[in-house]
Amino acid sequence: MTALQVSHVSKSFPGVKALDDVSMTLAGGSVHALLGENGAGKSTLIKIMTGIHRADRGEITMDGRPTRFANPRQAAAGGLGVVHQERNLVTRFSVAENIMLDRLGSHSLSRVDYAVLAEEARHWLAQLDLDIDPMTPVSRLSVAQMQLVEIGKALSLKSRVLLLDEPTASLTPSEAQVLFRTLRKLRDEGVAIGFVSHKLEEVFEICDTVTVLRDGRNACDSAPLKALTRDDVVKMMIGRAERISRRAPRPQPAAAPFFELQNYSSAAGHEDISLWVRPGEILGLYGLVGAGRSELAKAVLGLASQTGGTIYVAGTPRRIGSVSEALSLGIGYVSEDRKGEGLVLLHSVLDNAGITLWEQLSTALGFLRDATVAARVGPVLKKLEVKTPSLDQTIGNLSGGNQQKVSVAKWIAAGVRLLIIDEPSVGIDIKTKAYLHDLIHELAEQGTAVLLITSDLTEMVDVADRIAVMDDHRIRGLVENDRNYERVSTAIMGFIHGRTAPAAQAG
Amino acid sequence: MTDTTTSPDIDARDELMPARRRSSRLLRLLLSNEFGLAVMIAIAFTAFATTLPGFTSPFSLFTIGRQIGIDTMIGLAMMAVIVTGGLDLSVGAIGVCAAMVFGWLAQSMGVPLALAVPAAILFGGLLGFINGYAVVRSGVHSFIITLASMSIFFGVMIFLSKAQSFNALPPEVTSLGKMRIFGKVSLLLVITLVVCVALSAFYRFTTLGRQMLATGANARAAELSGIRTGRIITACHMLAGALAALAGLMLTARTGAAVPSMAGHLGQDWLLPAFLAPVLGGTLLSGGRVSVAGTLLGAAFVTIMTSGLLLMRVGEFWILACLGLILLLAVLTDRLRQKMLRARGLI
Amino acid sequence: MSATVNRLFDNDWVGPALVCLIAIAGISWLQPSFLSSFNIFVLLSAIAVNMVVALGQLVIIALGQMNLALGAFGGLVAISFVAIMELYGVPPMAAVAIGLAIGTAAGAATGFVIARTGISAFIITLAALQIFKGINLGITEAQPFYGVPQVVKDFGNLAVIGPIPWLVVPMVIVSVGMWYLLNRLRIGRYILAVGGNPTAAELSGINVTGTTIWAFAISGGLAAIAGMMLVARLQIGQPTIGDDWLISSFAAPVIGGAVLAGGHVSVAGTFFGVVIIAIITQALVLFAIDPFVVQIVLGALILWAVGINRFREIRVARHNEAR
Repeated sequence: MTALQVSHVSKSFPGVKALDDVSMTLAGGSVHALLGENGAGKSTLIKIMTGIHRADRGEITMDGRPTRFANPRQAAAGGLGVVHQERNLVTRFSVAENIMLDRLGSHSLSRVDYAVLAEEARHWLAQLDLDIDPMTPVSRLSVAQMQLVEIGKALSLKSRVLLLDEPTASLTPSEAQVLFRTLRKLRDEGVAIGFVSHKLEEVFEICDTVTVLRDGRNACDSAPLKALTRDDVVKMMIGRAERISRRAPRPQPAAAPFFELQNYSSAAGHEDISLWVRPGEILGLYGLVGAGRSELAKAVLGLASQTGGTIYVAGTPRRIGSVSEALSLGIGYVSEDRKGEGLVLLHSVLDNAGITLWEQLSTALGFLRDATVAARVGPVLKKLEVKTPSLDQTIGNLSGGNQQKVSVAKWIAAGVRLLIIDEPSVGIDIKTKAYLHDLIHELAEQGTAVLLITSDLTEMVDVADRIAVMDDHRIRGLVENDRNYERVSTAIMGFIHGRTAPAAQAG
Repeated sequence: MTDTTTSPDIDARDELMPARRRSSRLLRLLLSNEFGLAVMIAIAFTAFATTLPGFTSPFSLFTIGRQIGIDTMIGLAMMAVIVTGGLDLSVGAIGVCAAMVFGWLAQSMGVPLALAVPAAILFGGLLGFINGYAVVRSGVHSFIITLASMSIFFGVMIFLSKAQSFNALPPEVTSLGKMRIFGKVSLLLVITLVVCVALSAFYRFTTLGRQMLATGANARAAELSGIRTGRIITACHMLAGALAALAGLMLTARTGAAVPSMAGHLGQDWLLPAFLAPVLGGTLLSGGRVSVAGTLLGAAFVTIMTSGLLLMRVGEFWILACLGLILLLAVLTDRLRQKMLRARGLI
Repeated sequence: MSATVNRLFDNDWVGPALVCLIAIAGISWLQPSFLSSFNIFVLLSAIAVNMVVALGQLVIIALGQMNLALGAFGGLVAISFVAIMELYGVPPMAAVAIGLAIGTAAGAATGFVIARTGISAFIITLAALQIFKGINLGITEAQPFYGVPQVVKDFGNLAVIGPIPWLVVPMVIVSVGMWYLLNRLRIGRYILAVGGNPTAAELSGINVTGTTIWAFAISGGLAAIAGMMLVARLQIGQPTIGDDWLISSFAAPVIGGAVLAGGHVSVAGTFFGVVIIAIITQALVLFAIDPFVVQIVLGALILWAVGINRFREIRVARHNEAR
């Protein structure tokens, strides 16, 4: 019995096709895995199912009837429950109240009958084998228990389809087992469960069927998991290398590393990280969602405290306490969140491109004219072919590709010697993406050390010289890049999914 | 954003979209806030001038001009903090405290004006520093910090001064308040105009000014671009404190005395003009954009309206209600403006 | 032992209650007249009014917002209350009802504007403050109304029994009512849900606009009651009623453990917060210290209370993480 059917759904955003003719069948009484790399389209698909986006083509049917939810609230009422990665509970309220939050009373001045709420809640808690007093405040629960409460809430709304987005991200292995027991029970009762995760071991443990998305298309559609091996699945996720990289592998520069981490640990959870980048070298840092790569970059920049190890800049041990200090040491960071962290959208191109230079260019009395900034920044912007009618143009009006160019330009203009670039091509058109790759190579040729953080394997193979693989805040291994996509991607995935024993440090 | 996104945040505004054609400079000027205010001022002024006989008398113009000077300065003080997206409820308290310090120095200690005035302004800056430091270190929103500091500053001042006024100030003080430049324009207004020019230049031509605007527009991006946002925010509060002090001194010059109640209980009487002028003038409450000229025009509009209505014998208190309505309208407009900007993906 | 102590301090009101006890003990030891019948009467009168004021802000803090116009609501209702009795001979009970209606309506209107425009409550209530204050002063021309009926004057200045003033009666009714509303009635839970996690509230179908209007209407109603109580105590319709409510209306709930971001408040804690403030104010007078020092103390108390609340929140978060 099909609970939810996705049929030939396509969705485009300006310049990017997020989903192309995607289908998926969620049958009642099964646990269905939804797999795919970052950017494969999983999240867009879920947003379409819950009504946040509307599909351009194709349709979604529930129990055989076409449905289109206008918003997540409607989806919940219609039998489609979603439990997200982030918790969505009123922490000061009790478990019972959270579960029954939409059924507290008939009108504003009605009395809340806690006994009835507790009774209802107890029922659902029992379903989930969750042995807690329904009147316990949610704030006293563990994250795992909170998650189960959210599942209970979805169930109490008579969800016939339950979508779980990275459910084990914040759970210990034993807590995950408790969750799986519950999921199996629900499955046996006929609920259709969608399970989005990147942890293949878990997928193979709990799921019955799998849909793999790659580049917005089905790599497989609701295939029974029993017929597949782990390698099969990984291959489907990363695909064959249709693109043969046009770049030859680069020789390793001879100079001493410009930037090095030795046994570095941070308050953000990183442990014993060791890696280095030479001037003119491009070190890739690969990892999946939650691996801790962006956090590492930010921690190194001084945004999280260092709890162990040493940072070496140009051979000298340094303590970096702020981004300002990092900049003065010659380190720059292009954030993955271009609009939120990379740019000041309200301000002009000139202001954005020059922001890293203001301190440097200001006169003794603190004066700084636009012309001075333009003189330094103009040539860089021109070289990067940033398309803007003038430097005074509000940067928020530029296209995404041009915005990205500016967010890189400001560091080039500042003359950084190590550029950390975080997910440069997310949401960028193909042409600009190729341009950025060329740019990175050019920077390296001119002697800049580059740390490239990306979860796009093609990009990684195309650009990086060496690739450090990170998982769960630790370095798992190092891969030399000979531009052979199959070999490199398999090696990387091997480190991620635990096939290969962790190499001695990504040295 | 941390490493928790599961898909690229593609939004509907993306690449391949040509950059907007820049509307002609003239059109932008005409549609701007400042121009609109200028037009409204012209209309109001003409209306009052033609219907009220005493409105354009030299004395009336002088007093209106002088009040514009004072109200603008109050607005500039709040503007300095709004620029970083914060709030400063203690501008009134700081203004009064600085005025009282001035009074004490000038009257009780016999300090010459040339020293007492800068000392009072520096004192205002010091109080602003306390605010800024507390906001940055505690991470608590400036609303709460300045809510507390307004009562602390005011309370300490009252306690130390025993609620006495300084009304035997050196005569130069009152004469400064009465002084006319070119026989027509109040000295206080001239001072304010000079400060306005200086502030405009500050926000456009100095590093610190740019950093303040960047911090206000997007503190996270500013921080990640190497700006020390903590120091910037503290600097903003110090600037606000100094400007508030200057406003307090100007008020003292006008009334001829430094009185503890000159800004109402805890200084809260200044809150309305302090917000009204910048918001009417186009300084976004969310920060990152400033209009010094707009603040001046906003204060001018409010002062002209108030003076005209007063001359028409409309009760002072009804005017207060009117101003509240104007504040509401100004904020609704600010909101609409923010909505438009958000729709265009700029904030 | 420490676990029990910890659990005890999990309650918001224990800390403030202890401070009250210590303060009362200390002050009365230094100045025995502190516990005189007369003094207790005066204290309770002040506490009664201030508790209702604090509750008026409490309901908005629960929502995660702020109401700067609380005093203006109170002042406007106070003078209207006397005006209609003096000018139109309306009997006191009816006048109370009308006053309550005015306050509630003003609050609802404010809440409506906030909810529909999405503009911060800070600005809207700042504007409302000016508007209502202006109307107030426009009607009274800064002169008080003197025609307060004797029965009202008596209510505000006589005792029920011993040193307990009549004013305590409305305070108790209102306090219990608010506790009941916030803990047992759907609207109260909705207010706390919106304050605690607006997204979750919205996803569960809670009407945020309606809830906001309700909260502000209640706030206005409470301000109205407090204003009328003050008229009874002061025995005149003083236009300046409400001018000094701003700081203490925040201080008491915050001392009582309220979280300014919304979602968590404590009526009992607020009560002890009100008591602490009243005691300090009284003590300053008793020891002939400048009464304006109370402003300093209030400001400092807010900072201290906010600091403690943050500390407790961090402790709870760390405790949960460690699990």
